[in-house]
Amino acid sequence: MKPANLLRWYPRAWRERYGEELLVLIQDTLDDGRPTWRLRLGVIWGGLLERGHQARSRAVKWLTKPNQPTTMVVAGMMVALLPANVMTLPSPPRGSQVAALVALLAAVSLTAAVVAADGLAALPALVRFLRAGGWPKIRRRVAWAGGATAVAGGALAGLMLAFGSRSATQLNASWGYLAAWLATGTAMAIAIALWATAATGTAKHLTRAPRVRAVQLLLSAVAGIMVTVALATLNFWWSVTQAPPWLAVGLVWLALASVDAWRRIPQAVRRGRRLRAAASGTTIVNPSAPRTHGRHRF
Amino acid sequence: MATHGLRRANDPPLLILVSLADGPKHGHALAKDIEQFAGVRLGPGALYGAITRLVERGLIEPLGGDDRRRPYQITPPGSAALAEALAEMRRITRAGVTRLGLDPA
Repeated sequence: MKPANLLRWYPRAWRERYGEELLVLIQDTLDDGRPTWRLRLGVIWGGLLERGHQARSRAVKWLTKPNQPTTMVVAGMMVALLPANVMTLPSPPRGSQVAALVALLAAVSLTAAVVAADGLAALPALVRFLRAGGWPKIRRRVAWAGGATAVAGGALAGLMLAFGSRSATQLNASWGYLAAWLATGTAMAIAIALWATAATGTAKHLTRAPRVRAVQLLLSAVAGIMVTVALATLNFWWSVTQAPPWLAVGLVWLALASVDAWRRIPQAVRRGRRLRAAASGTTIVNPSAPRTHGRHRF
Repeated sequence: MATHGLRRANDPPLLILVSLADGPKHGHALAKDIEQFAGVRLGPGALYGAITRLVERGLIEPLGGDDRRRPYQITPPGSAALAEALAEMRRITRAGVTRLGLDPA
């Protein structure tokens, strides 16, 4: 096997970046012009490890970053289910139902508080931006988000008016309710996505101190995780009000929230530190570097 | 407490950082230097696996050049990481030497 063929064991991106260097090193290492089996196996093993590393990185990215749009769609659909849930609750509710509802309300309140704190941190910068005549730059995005919210709110109200008097059995058998729920859920998801886009677009125009940006990075990470936790508590509530299998779905959301927390919070802290370090003129470490727990990792 | 293999003196990333501590080197020069000062012979696969991780973590960086042998240099965070790891090793070594009664002091 020629040295160049050994590179096939490595991922394409790695080959493009390091392949030539590795080939040169292999040629430099050879004494008699032919690679030994030990060298070949070492290079092949290195390639397999690199592929494993790449697969792990992809898996972690898949478990975290792509969740944002998915979470928005699922959140929209779940919010659209809430009115029917509340209206078909038995009276008086059982203790477990009350506890689950309290947990849900606590999770939603906490999420709202974190989102509000995130917004408040940027409020002085937003006021400065608006006073400097920045409103036209963000007006369109905010108008779209506001319009979508009005449509989603109207759809939710219409859903409650049209189907509020029906029992859970009737709702489950109704194609009309299913269509209305899907339409309302989609409208909710679009409204959430447009607000997220408006917030991101506005943030790009704001001049914030590195400390404020660091705090916002952390709060944004916590808010994202809290949304997932709130969805988990919603499923726990459904598991005691609708059907026990929802408990499994809630546990999946909770697991996703844990993975998110494990990855996103240290990442946000690290980026915040680098922002502050960059502002004070200290060397910035590679932003994609993993967490170190205060200890450097080789 | 995560150790990440920092306490192993023959850990390839640690050996690479030590080798680069006195100046930039390309792959072959790194392998030769490591063999000389540590007695560890790193194959091309192991060497470039470790170089990839160190570059990803911002602890070393490639230098530009026309030569196919691209040299690498240690970064300030890399120097800090190496100093931290060596200090920890020194503490452990000192404790072991003292307890074995090998330390004349």
